Amino acid sequence: MTDTDKTALVQVAGFPLALDRMYEGRTHMWVARVGTGDPSIARIGLDSVGVETNGTLAQLSLPEVGEQLTVGRPFGQLEAAKFVGPLVSPVSGTVVARNEAAAADPGLTERDPYGDGWLIEVALTDFGAWLDGLTGEPDEIVAWFEAEISDYRMKGVIAQ
Amino acid sequence: MTAEPIVPARARTALPLLTQAEQRISPEWVRISMASAIALRMKSGRFTRDFEFGGINLLLNYDEGCLSDCGYCGLARTRPGAYEDKSFIRVEWPLVRIGDLVDRMGAHEASLTRLCISMVTHGHAYRDTCDITRRIAARVDTPLSILVAPPTLNRERLETFKALGVDMIGIGVDAVTEELFRSIRTDVPAGGLKWEKYWEVVDDSREIFGPWKVNVHTLVGLGETDEDLISIFTRLRDRQIFSYLFCFNPEPDSRMAGHPKSPLTRWRRIQLAKQLIETEGYTLDQFDFDAGGGLTHLSASRAAVEAVVDQGVAFMTNGCPGEKGEPGCTRPYGSYRPAEDFRDFPFLPQAADLERIRAQMRLDEVLR
Repeated sequence: MTDTDKTALVQVAGFPLALDRMYEGRTHMWVARVGTGDPSIARIGLDSVGVETNGTLAQLSLPEVGEQLTVGRPFGQLEAAKFVGPLVSPVSGTVVARNEAAAADPGLTERDPYGDGWLIEVALTDFGAWLDGLTGEPDEIVAWFEAEISDYRMKGVIAQ
Repeated sequence: MTAEPIVPARARTALPLLTQAEQRISPEWVRISMASAIALRMKSGRFTRDFEFGGINLLLNYDEGCLSDCGYCGLARTRPGAYEDKSFIRVEWPLVRIGDLVDRMGAHEASLTRLCISMVTHGHAYRDTCDITRRIAARVDTPLSILVAPPTLNRERLETFKALGVDMIGIGVDAVTEELFRSIRTDVPAGGLKWEKYWEVVDDSREIFGPWKVNVHTLVGLGETDEDLISIFTRLRDRQIFSYLFCFNPEPDSRMAGHPKSPLTRWRRIQLAKQLIETEGYTLDQFDFDAGGGLTHLSASRAAVEAVVDQGVAFMTNGCPGEKGEPGCTRPYGSYRPAEDFRDFPFLPQAADLERIRAQMRLDEVLR
């Protein structure tokens, strides 16, 4: 899968959410399998709330093709107007592509986080294990996403 | 739980949409700093480190922009691009309706520490600053400063500001010597700002607003020497006027876009020197300089200087205080990117920060 399935896009408490992929809850990273080849390739990006809560993006630092990623470890950096933080990998594997367009214009990730604003593609180390820690059931994703938005609103991170 | 199909679109902001016919100029419209917009929840976002933030900065907005043309400023008249698209101090300043802004101030008043209106050089700036000041003062009690545009003012107008409830005045001299001021702000394509006028407004403000109610902005890194800075700190201190330090940050496309920032070692030493002068009573003759005006030696006891470093206040943002004297205007990431080292801290530096500051400052080289 390389394009966002528009029919899988829903709105939750004012934010778009794609239900055709999996999510890592703490980091707001999404993971979507690309094609059916071997090794398995996963495309990775930030969901709309992950983008919004950082503020206006200024810079995305992405890894080079060939770099090894470990689940739970930083693979890059996001810098916004008043915030800087790591991009944390939801999977282990080897980087096979980076989104040069998003690196050049982080606004692309703001405008289309589930589509053209993807970050990197990774050849997964262990396809059997890559689902661990990710949420994939639509009902669970929506419930988690809604709770996150509520929490961020409470903290005053989302504009009102 | 709400889940309904939509087209992919994302509303980043709660700011109202505009019609083309609407003129978005002051006093009905103002720009606010991105940190202010986040604090008032007009924009989404957060700060890298958690700290209380309540210093709201407003900037007047006109179609013609600022009519000055300072070489280092993002708003300079001859800087390329439409005024709408210009940044001021590194990042976008969102444009908001004054009515909405005042409503937000009212809703968040408990967390606000200091408000500041920044004028620009424009024929309507004084009139509109008065109008905005009235609207704010009618709604909230948070202390209010004005960063003035001296070409638009005289003594009577400063007195009016005070009568309207303004308690502190800032003057952006920025370039700390007359020669530097002329080269960057006067003798430039659309320049003409007068060094004498700036100091006339400093003098009048000091008389009208009183001791420690006036601040002069001093920008570090425009080409001045350490001696120039330390000298002006002592002169202002002797008159009970604050020096507020700002770190030059090159604005893209400005005439000084290629001018380097001040090295961190120099910046830290200047921060320390200002604190020693302003709060510890140090005098100019306690600082030695080389032929080029660079600081070479500080005549002071190591223990006394170390104690000031340990307090950490020297490295915090210089800004007008809150109602109870606490830091009021802290401008997080105002002159550096979040990915860079803090230039000035919007909170009291912690132990790890102080360790880093010490390494950057290399105090041994000037204390000996």
